[in-house]
Amino acid sequence: MLKFKYNGGLKLENPYPVDAIDLIRIPLPDKVVLPMQQRIGNQAIPIVSVGERVLTGQIVATIDDQRCAPVHASISGTVVAIDEHVYAHKSGLKGLCVTIESDGKDEWVDTSIGCTEHYEACTANTIYNKIRVSGIVGMGGAGFPTHTKVRLAEGCHTLLVNATECEPGITCDAALMQAYPTKVIRGIEVLLHICQAERAIIAIEDDKQDAIAALNKFCNNENITIEVMPTKYTSGAEKLLLKSLLGIEVPTGKFASDVGVLCQNVATVVAMFDAVVENRPLISRAVTVAGSAVKESKNFQVRLGASYDYLLSFVDIVEGSHKISMNGLMMGIELDSTNYSVSKNTNCVFIDQLEESKPTKECIRCGLCNTVCPVDLLPQQLYWYSKSENIDKAIEYNLLDCIECNCCSYVCPSYIPLVDYYQYSKSLYKQQVKEKQQTESARERYEFRELRLERNKRERAEMMEAKKIALKEKMAKDKAHKATVEAALERVDAAKSAHGSQDDG
Amino acid sequence: MLDAISTLSLLALLLGLGLGYAAIRYRVKGNPLIDQIDAILPQTQCGQCDFPGCRPYAEAIASGEVEINQCPPGGQEGVDALAELLGVETLPLNQVHGETKPKRVAVVDEKVCIGCTLCIQACPVDAFVGSSKVMTTVIAEECTGCDLCLPVCPVDCIDMVEIKPTFRTYVPDISELAHA
Ligand code: SF4
Ligand code: SF4
Ligand code: SF4
Ligand code: SF4
Repeated sequence: MLKFKYNGGLKLENPYPVDAIDLIRIPLPDKVVLPMQQRIGNQAIPIVSVGERVLTGQIVATIDDQRCAPVHASISGTVVAIDEHVYAHKSGLKGLCVTIESDGKDEWVDTSIGCTEHYEACTANTIYNKIRVSGIVGMGGAGFPTHTKVRLAEGCHTLLVNATECEPGITCDAALMQAYPTKVIRGIEVLLHICQAERAIIAIEDDKQDAIAALNKFCNNENITIEVMPTKYTSGAEKLLLKSLLGIEVPTGKFASDVGVLCQNVATVVAMFDAVVENRPLISRAVTVAGSAVKESKNFQVRLGASYDYLLSFVDIVEGSHKISMNGLMMGIELDSTNYSVSKNTNCVFIDQLEESKPTKECIRCGLCNTVCPVDLLPQQLYWYSKSENIDKAIEYNLLDCIECNCCSYVCPSYIPLVDYYQYSKSLYKQQVKEKQQTESARERYEFRELRLERNKRERAEMMEAKKIALKEKMAKDKAHKATVEAALERVDAAKSAHGSQDDG
Repeated sequence: MLDAISTLSLLALLLGLGLGYAAIRYRVKGNPLIDQIDAILPQTQCGQCDFPGCRPYAEAIASGEVEINQCPPGGQEGVDALAELLGVETLPLNQVHGETKPKRVAVVDEKVCIGCTLCIQACPVDAFVGSSKVMTTVIAEECTGCDLCLPVCPVDCIDMVEIKPTFRTYVPDISELAHA
């Protein structure tokens, strides 16, 4: 039960209910397309070339950036292309991808080296490194590299495992917990070992009774508790979990790690167990395929880089026009086709029947949006300020605290896509901050250059002056020298002539 | 070669940091009005306003010698902001000085560059790194896109490239959002 409460949020029904959740393993895809750009940091650089044979689990791209994780081949086969593809991203921008064609053998790299079940003998640093080279990033959607997150939380008091599933309709985490409850528990033990927290809490919603039962059966570690929460949309947001379970408020611009809590998604915990104990890098994940156009919603354990089309070939789809989206109805994005591939943070692909779009109307100032915001913002104000590009005001009204949960636009009777406006003003803000930094830097560099040029000029002038003086002195000296020589010569001459006249005489 | 470049850039950076600090620390704090005007100017340092940089233009504006509408990189918005600061009527941007263009950065074709260092001397913000006879590169983060390095290059190897949006800098377009 919840000890603490937060305001707002929504009670949402699962739009695609199923009788039983199952994690289905599907055959290897013929081809995988692996994106080099992950959610955070710079694009990874391919270290394989076209035509090269690669093994499952082999690193194909890496980057020397602590915020990023390397990318692994998810099947064995041949690299057939390294080129640009449109990413499943709001911007519709292209990014570099490595395409591998399967040889159907799924031949693995050597996975015998590593910590294995004796991980307790490994230092935290060894394990961080193992997590990093295994390419693990947050699989709940944020995509933040796990090794960095864990390291940041060093010395934390509580490990919070997020098993709430982000939003209705997505069941991949439940499927994973039912299929691998021991991995969840043992993965938590590995994490407890490295972060040294006293306790771990698994936060799970009460609509996942089967998963709860599975975890309860295998959890016999007294430091791990399973906390069952009422199902309510956006309980799973990190900061809200901290607030409702631990009564801890995370200040704006801070993270859970700043208040001594390490938060990890349950799928990430399983991936970490695979990496640390089984020495297997992240090459597959659980994905929910559902939607009003999908006859029966299913969960698949699929290799990363497999196409959505491949996934969809395992479900029955109702004919007609479809709306395609990924990562959920509330916080996900709509896509123009199924021509994308599963990445480390793809948790679902939804195919819905196209409904008549609801026309956006003017805001009627009903204030409904204000009542549902789980982080106590004033969405209506934020909307006005974002729309008028009054970014300073929006920031003043805590725009940066908005978790983009879409509760506000969900209840808006005028169907205003509020979060689109917030995303717009947030990116404008980011741009402004960067521009300001650059202008500041340009000013400094310009002034510094002026100073340097002036100094150079002064130094040159001083040098010239010194040279001039030296020259003058030299000339004077030379003159004096010449005069002495001349005087001496004159004297000699005089003496000579005096002598001569004497001789003559 | 790369070693040389990185060593040089590191050196330049360290020296720059030290001296930059000195420049700020020991700058004679001048007229606050000039500072305020300078804060509005975009610091592209391109000279299109007919002054050798933003600060000289700021000084000229403060002394009332020139109009406030001579800075193309600042655009109309910049002119308006200056008008507001000075409490005068705003003016349309004077097209004689040039047009407002999207921000670009200089990229050196390293295969063609002969390492003549002329661009290093031309750049108002020291955005180039390199030394004589070694190819030169631009620190993209520092380049203001002022175009001053273009005319001095004897082999025309500098290109001005428009900055493309990336996944991180992308700004969604709200004009597309439907409205009744
Ligand atoms: S999207 Fe932002 S403003 Fe709207 S309800 Fe969620 S947190 Fe509040
Ligand atoms: S719910 Fe919609 S119409 Fe009502 S105040 Fe909020 S933005 Fe305006
Ligand atoms: S025209 Fe160029 S140098 Fe003049 S103020 Fe504008 S940016 Fe600065
Ligand atoms: S590199 Fe060229 S365009 Fe960029 S700031 Fe320097 S001189 Fe101007």
